[in-house]
Amino acid sequence: MRKSLITAVAMGLVLATASTAFAATRMLETGSTLLYPLVNLWVATYQKEHRNVQITTQGTGSGTGISEAIAGVAQIGASDAYMSNGQMKQHRMLNIPLAISAQQINYNIPGLNNVHLNLSGPVLAGIYSGRITYWNDNAIKALNRAYASRLPHKVIIPIHRSDGSGDTFIFSQYLSFSTPSWKNGPAYGTTISWPTVQTAVGANGNPGMLQTCKATPYSIAYIGVSFLNETNKAGLGYARLKNRAGRFVLPTTQTVNAAAATLVSRTPRDERISLVFAPGANSYPIINYEYAIVNPKQANPATAKELREFLNWAIDGNGGQKPYYLDQVHFRPLPASIVKLSRSQIASIS
Amino acid sequence: MTSIERGRRSGVSPEDPLVKGLARAWGLQRPWAQLIFKLGTGTTAVLSALVVVLICVFLTVFAWPAIRFNGWNILTGTIWNIGNQYGSGSITHNGYSAEPGAQFGGLVFIFGTLATATVAMIAAVPLAFLVSVALVYRVPARIRPLANALVELMAGVPSVVYGLWGMVVLVPWIGTKLAPAATAHLGFLPIFHGDAGSGNGLLAASTIIALMVIPIMVATIRDVINAQATSVYEASMALGSTSWQAVTRAVLPSVRNGMIAAIMVAFGRALGETMAVLMVCGAAINTYPQNIFQSVNTLAAVIVSQLESALTDSSGMAQRSLAELAVVLFAITVVLNMLARGILRGADRSQEAQ
Amino acid sequence: MILRRRRRAAIASKLWWGASLLALFAVIAVLLSIFWFVAARGFPALRPAILTTVTAGTSGGLLNAIAGTFLLVISGMVMVAIVGLGTAVWMVEFASSRPRALVRFAIDVLFGVPSIVVGYSLYVALVEGLGWGFSLVAGALALAIIMLPYVVRNADLALSAVPRDLREAAIALGARQATAAVSVALPWAVPGILTGFLIATGIAVGETAPLIYTAGWSNFLPSFAPTHSPVGYLTYVVWTFISLPFTASHELAYAAAVLLMLIIFVTNLASRTFVEYYAQKTHRR
Repeated sequence: MRKSLITAVAMGLVLATASTAFAATRMLETGSTLLYPLVNLWVATYQKEHRNVQITTQGTGSGTGISEAIAGVAQIGASDAYMSNGQMKQHRMLNIPLAISAQQINYNIPGLNNVHLNLSGPVLAGIYSGRITYWNDNAIKALNRAYASRLPHKVIIPIHRSDGSGDTFIFSQYLSFSTPSWKNGPAYGTTISWPTVQTAVGANGNPGMLQTCKATPYSIAYIGVSFLNETNKAGLGYARLKNRAGRFVLPTTQTVNAAAATLVSRTPRDERISLVFAPGANSYPIINYEYAIVNPKQANPATAKELREFLNWAIDGNGGQKPYYLDQVHFRPLPASIVKLSRSQIASIS
Repeated sequence: MTSIERGRRSGVSPEDPLVKGLARAWGLQRPWAQLIFKLGTGTTAVLSALVVVLICVFLTVFAWPAIRFNGWNILTGTIWNIGNQYGSGSITHNGYSAEPGAQFGGLVFIFGTLATATVAMIAAVPLAFLVSVALVYRVPARIRPLANALVELMAGVPSVVYGLWGMVVLVPWIGTKLAPAATAHLGFLPIFHGDAGSGNGLLAASTIIALMVIPIMVATIRDVINAQATSVYEASMALGSTSWQAVTRAVLPSVRNGMIAAIMVAFGRALGETMAVLMVCGAAINTYPQNIFQSVNTLAAVIVSQLESALTDSSGMAQRSLAELAVVLFAITVVLNMLARGILRGADRSQEAQ
Repeated sequence: MILRRRRRAAIASKLWWGASLLALFAVIAVLLSIFWFVAARGFPALRPAILTTVTAGTSGGLLNAIAGTFLLVISGMVMVAIVGLGTAVWMVEFASSRPRALVRFAIDVLFGVPSIVVGYSLYVALVEGLGWGFSLVAGALALAIIMLPYVVRNADLALSAVPRDLREAAIALGARQATAAVSVALPWAVPGILTGFLIATGIAVGETAPLIYTAGWSNFLPSFAPTHSPVGYLTYVVWTFISLPFTASHELAYAAAVLLMLIIFVTNLASRTFVEYYAQKTHRR
């Protein structure tokens, strides 16, 4: 084994020097499983027009995306969450928004899945911290006068993600921004210390959330909007959520755009901002930017050039932002002013 | 006179495969060839042993800041919280710092690991033995290769496939049929008492683990029976015992060491199984199951499911605490191994005493 | 009185054998249920194009993953064959009891190391530490380490079970230790050793977590470069593509699962037939 290792290392060195001499530029995109389907759609088309680049895509998770972009293993780290101040202090990376995503709250209440229940941050926080345990709890009834008599006396089974996830990040942000006790308790992050609820279940990935919710009557789950077709097919209901203005809204093109519009002007130059719980009467409260985490200093100019070209294509209205790509995963395109900010960030890659 | 000639005179036929094999390998007889062979195999053995030592040392070194930061809390604490990544400030303990609110208690996962593995083994060990003897003594010779292949195929089913099957078939069945019925009618038993839950949990995880380790045990036990117990089985039958008595009185004792070895392999696998368990265990955090149906979590599952988030911890403490959990899992494996070794040695001694 | 006890024993015997056959059928039934579960979803998705084209985004074929799986497992197998067999031979033939116990102990502990820990250690040490990037060598090494205990343990058991008289006959013929080991013990132990390799192959083919962090994933055919070039494999498709919101990718995931099962089934059946044949030929004594 030792011998084969030594030969392997030697061969590796020879081949590495040889391959840089002639091969096409290779790039690795890795990270967010939420962004992964979209990037796959992009790359499939982009490759056809750009034969000189080979882009490999990987759905590993936002944390891996960030850390591999920092380590230089990947050129593009895909992340649902912007990097924290602590991380930025250690590594100056670019956080470039590529699209806008949203999240719906699904439930499986036999007999009520065909209606949109009203839910609010404090009620969800109550469910996920074990203070609200039955579907016919007064707090839920109060939000749904029309269906009060149809809400069953059944134990709620709250489902959360067991893996680190951008969905957990934005869901817990919604709870934190709307409910002080949650902000001072579990707070928010890609994984959080869930309060003890005896019936709670952790599920792996969005498909795990979907499968568990579908198979478990009286459960509730938060699922990325790219799975909207699937959750509808599974017959799950999804909720109207209470936004900052106090109105209950469904995740639609209009409400997601409305929410994004209110925060565009506040987006800083480094574009690290939460879009959750946006002001505005029609704003859907759980939306976020999907980010490409990129090191501004690339290994060589050729890679930097190809990287700039691909990212610029991805945020272009005639490129990656076309409805053909975004509609398949229910994402929304970036507003023009954000595209402008992103372009200037992309230009700084060298 | 060469040794082979001497052997021939002692009455071994030159046609014996033994002699033929020896003649083919006679080049090895040279002293230096013997030495090189011995040194070569010795080197590989050192390498094999080093693998585990290297991983262990590497993990311990990597986890050292977490070991200092967490103290005993990693073994006794029940709260796992990597802290608020987006908060301000940090907390420091023993000279090492982590994000505000961070605490790394691993007891829930340690409990879950031992519970799932133990329940799985309680079911799997007798089943594996039964399947093995059935394969050896009851399946007709003509279809035995097929039956053997089928059982071994089970060992090859990828754990993600077990996990998918568990998620789509097993868990809904437990959640909607078994668990509600058991908690309603057998609720007086502590293992069935309380809320039925969703089907994801201790029982689902243990069942999947049992299914994964049974073929691994069967493959070994079956081979050991074939190799060591054919004669004692015949002898016991000749003495007038029924065929099953021959199994329990003659076969079982003579394959005991092989069985214990197989059990240890299976237990190791049960403790370390990751993907399939992750998909059906319910990934409990900060909570213990109140009955056999409720959510649990294991050390291996939590390492893979939390690694993602840990990578976003700019203090690095979450990542190192996961490495510490791996060290804990290591330690559990070592301790259980030593226990099993003690049992083996004790049994050997009592056998000698008889 | 004795007669009655006899009859009772005979009935008990029948019952127990019934139970053991039931256990066997139950185990096979579960296997078939899993196989059906995968086949019903996977076979319809198995278009010929899947075997001839590489993955394109969320659809396309699986050629890159199939080639990568074979490449990774065979490379890992080569590493582990030398080291694992050598270790077992040394333990049984040459080692004195204390070092033997030590190595055996190390191997037993290795069983309990979750594969993700192996993968993650190699990720930190090789992929990032030595800067190899996602690569064939890192992936194959991870598989080799995961396979090692299965290979060593089974070879150890098989070699230990070689009948003493066989060994003694060889020694009586003048064979030295290494000669006896190679010419007599090893051939006799082949079925047991192969069982170990079989189980190890199955586990390696089905391994996911450690490869994600060592081999990475690639949409393109493996380049055979030992480092700096990620390799695709089938389990990645099962694990990741099932998580995508597209029907096309789900089909690909189930197709990959079926292919995995088929690969395992074929290698299993082939080597099992060989083992039975070989055992019948050599184990007559």
